[in-house]
Amino acid sequence: MGRLILKNVSRRFNGFLALNKVNFEVENGEFVCLLGPSGCGKTTILRLAAGLDLPSDGEIFLDGKKIIGVNKECGFVFQEYALFPWRTVKENIEFGPEVKGIPREEWEVISKYYIDLVGLTGFENHYPHELSGGMKQRVGIARAYANKPKLLLMDEPFGALDAQTRNLMQGELLRIWETEHVSALFVTHSVDEAVYLADRVVVMSARPGTIKELFNVDILRPRIRTGLEANKIRDAILRSLGTEITRAAIHIDDKD
Amino acid sequence: MKKYPWRKGFIINILSLVGFVLIWHAFVMLAREDIFNPPFMRLKDIPTPIETWMAFAGSLFTHTHGPGLTYGIVDHVLASLERVIEGGLIAFIVGVPMGIGVGYSKLLHDILNPIIEIVRNMPPMAWIPIAIFILVTGGSIFIVFIGVVFPIILNTIHGVKSTDLRLIDAAKTLGATETQIVTKVIIPSAYPSIIAGLRIGLGVGWMAIVAAEMVVRSPVGLGYFIWNMGDLGRYAEMVAGMIVIGIIGYIMNISILLLQKRFIKWAD
Repeated sequence: MGRLILKNVSRRFNGFLALNKVNFEVENGEFVCLLGPSGCGKTTILRLAAGLDLPSDGEIFLDGKKIIGVNKECGFVFQEYALFPWRTVKENIEFGPEVKGIPREEWEVISKYYIDLVGLTGFENHYPHELSGGMKQRVGIARAYANKPKLLLMDEPFGALDAQTRNLMQGELLRIWETEHVSALFVTHSVDEAVYLADRVVVMSARPGTIKELFNVDILRPRIRTGLEANKIRDAILRSLGTEITRAAIHIDDKD
Repeated sequence: MKKYPWRKGFIINILSLVGFVLIWHAFVMLAREDIFNPPFMRLKDIPTPIETWMAFAGSLFTHTHGPGLTYGIVDHVLASLERVIEGGLIAFIVGVPMGIGVGYSKLLHDILNPIIEIVRNMPPMAWIPIAIFILVTGGSIFIVFIGVVFPIILNTIHGVKSTDLRLIDAAKTLGATETQIVTKVIIPSAYPSIIAGLRIGLGVGWMAIVAAEMVVRSPVGLGYFIWNMGDLGRYAEMVAGMIVIGIIGYIMNISILLLQKRFIKWAD
């Protein structure tokens, strides 16, 4: 379970073509990284897969079901965490089970399990503003998982973290993902991050966003960041990406 | 702003108040000694701080004299506070749901916003004739209501509209329904604005009640007390009443700020 298919997906915003005929799949249990220059529509793809936005053309399927509205079988992890500031760690994680009408005794079990899994034991009753960035994202991941998603969608989840925390969190994410195996689509700017995490890397080109090249990363986990094989793939991806980044930098200068 | 320890700030606060009282005293004494006493003013009639204090202490409690009854400041304060709390409560019950509705629904916004925008520009004082001539009872409470309700409505609308859209997206993907998004995301995220509206509104309401009591002529209430003492030429009592109004308004403001700190721990 958890197979995502994008078929000829295009998205226009006020006449501006953001995504053009995007085709790719996330296989069941696969970890796919979306990589591309700023403004290439990576986040748009995630929002479409989550059903938070709908394509102008084309279709998206999760396990054969066409996505026509908010996709409640996905877990979304946001770059800026998007935790509910008025809820404690535990209450944030329980949000999904709570709104789905699951009995309270079960939330407790679910939240306890995921708090332990992401390593936040002892912080159950802390509010988000009392946590560091890395801890906030642990809550974000646990909250997404507590909803038993078939597909994890992550929008540069570690983008706001410092380099060391980022490396640590990548390892943590893989550890959690290997325990609770679901398909994952992960957007990033960082080639290193993509090569460390992904089974497959999708390189996109900008304006309009299209799929440029796919790379399989057939390296056993845990991976060595500076390993020979990793370097080889990183090199190939950088070359593929390089022309796009130059092209994008000339045409746009946006915040993303 | 340059920072220094709070202890130093506190001492400066106290010195400032003491300084104010001393200047006040000196001002009155200069007038009474004819050193500074312009002919077109009656500065000599201003009570000194000590006279004001004596008048305050002397009129704190209600006392009877024969068949007559003179209300004390404590009862005047309680009467005014009761009206403000009642009017404020009604305003809160009406204003919060209205603000949520207008902030959330474009249709409700388009229906109610023109009315709100016009009515909120009529000062509470302008409603006093209606309060006197049309409402049989509760005129002062109505004036407070008018003063409190608009700050609450406007702040609630603002709070609802400034809900972080990512939180709404997060709630959607977690399976929240439209109603749950309102009750579990939009309303909680508007709490700080709602409380801010209540705080501003009660400030306005407190000023409005004093004015309303002057005109509506309830037999008890701080506004009535000040007006009556002014009429009787008992200026020391009148000034004491004014100072009490200021201090109580200040305490109300601080109390709500403390409540907010206590209950909205998450907003830093």
